[in-house]
Amino acid sequence: MSAFWRGLVIQWRVVGALLIREIYSRFGRESLGFAWIVAEPLVFAIPVLFVWRAVRNPNEHGLSLMPFLWSGYLPLLLFRHLGGRILLFIRSNVPLLYHQRVKILDIFIARALLEIGSNLTALIVSFVVFYAIGAVDVPRDLPMFYLGYFYMIWWSVAVALIIGALCERTDWVQQIWLPYSYLFMMFSGFFFLSDWLPPIIRNIALYQPYTQAYEMIRGGVFGATVTTHSDPAYTTFALAILTLFGLWLMRESRKYVVIE
Amino acid sequence: MISAIDVTKDYHTEGRVRRVLSNVSFTVAKGEKLALLGHNGAGKSTLIRLIGGVELPTLGTIKQTMSVSWPIGLAGGFHGSLTGNDNMRFIARVYNKPFAKVKDYVEDFAELGKFLSEPMRTYSTGMRARFMFALSLAIDFDCYLIDEVIAAGDQRFQSRSREELFEKRADRSMILASHINEIVKSYCSRALVLHRGRAKVFADLDLALDIYNYL
Repeated sequence: MSAFWRGLVIQWRVVGALLIREIYSRFGRESLGFAWIVAEPLVFAIPVLFVWRAVRNPNEHGLSLMPFLWSGYLPLLLFRHLGGRILLFIRSNVPLLYHQRVKILDIFIARALLEIGSNLTALIVSFVVFYAIGAVDVPRDLPMFYLGYFYMIWWSVAVALIIGALCERTDWVQQIWLPYSYLFMMFSGFFFLSDWLPPIIRNIALYQPYTQAYEMIRGGVFGATVTTHSDPAYTTFALAILTLFGLWLMRESRKYVVIE
Repeated sequence: MISAIDVTKDYHTEGRVRRVLSNVSFTVAKGEKLALLGHNGAGKSTLIRLIGGVELPTLGTIKQTMSVSWPIGLAGGFHGSLTGNDNMRFIARVYNKPFAKVKDYVEDFAELGKFLSEPMRTYSTGMRARFMFALSLAIDFDCYLIDEVIAAGDQRFQSRSREELFEKRADRSMILASHINEIVKSYCSRALVLHRGRAKVFADLDLALDIYNYL
């Protein structure tokens, strides 16, 4: 077996061990932690559904409200949870770095996998619940929906890489993260389709990879009934650059880690 | 074999650079036992952490061609909010050893009894040291990095540690920071004397100990 494959096998084993450890230390063995991750979007979305229905036209811009909220909120949760969980993740896992085989990137991968896994579970469970009560339909263009969600996961991972590495160097990252993760809700595409924006603003908005991802998700959910503007080639390019930058920062971050 | 070539380590504290190790070079062959001698603050623990890959050298390189343990000492390597058993399970997975065997060994050697199902933050320093030491013996490395730990625990634990480490594992390599002259003389073949970040290897242990005591 070549050194590369041996390294890969070790890394896979370490990520697996970290994943199990992460589940134990976060959710305990008997607590309802994991169930809560799934329940949280439902607890948010159900009251909001009723409030909005009471005060607003349920068919804004000709779109039904519930699929719009559902397909907006779950990607938002992924982004906010992944980012929030990755802040200071290196510092809080320093004891693990005593084991040479455990790399910072392995800890990152384990954490990101857990966050993505629980978000996808929440996505499926909330879909089943809302489908059962007739609030949402099966997305009309499933491949487009999957593609959009994939880009949203990629975007969340790329940002998490960057902020996870940078928050070891400066406390500013933490200060900025909270307001940013709220503002993100406003300008991400949670509340709008880019088609509703004036063309000048739309062109600016579409430079944002997450707005691109939202466009694809909305295109997937509503199919040809809405006009969406998305450019997978640009999104791939932008996210690849962000990811490389994040990986480089993550590699550099080893130098900034002080181990008791 | 382990080889350290021109290893230098700087720490940045309050805007100032403090050089802890400066151009340290040495090798440890398979089966060889190297003593680290130096007063507190001479850089022994830093050197052990660099060899164990916990921290990276500022300059220079460290090569390992055998499996090297984590630095076994009074701190580090476990997760305080997890129980002893969960930490054991994690480390057994990381190093690909069967959990049942590791558990049997640690239960027998560390003698922590019911504490193994308690979170490790409730352990005393001595209990943690015993636990991590037992665990490192259960994993079975080619080279052990030992930072004062054999001075931990009571008389009985100390004598069992020596038996496990120096008699049953006589064929293993070791890098051993110890203040106990007798251990250095009976088990080590060479000594690295550290003083103010500089280091020199001595094959004559009596000479090394004399110099260390004189510093």
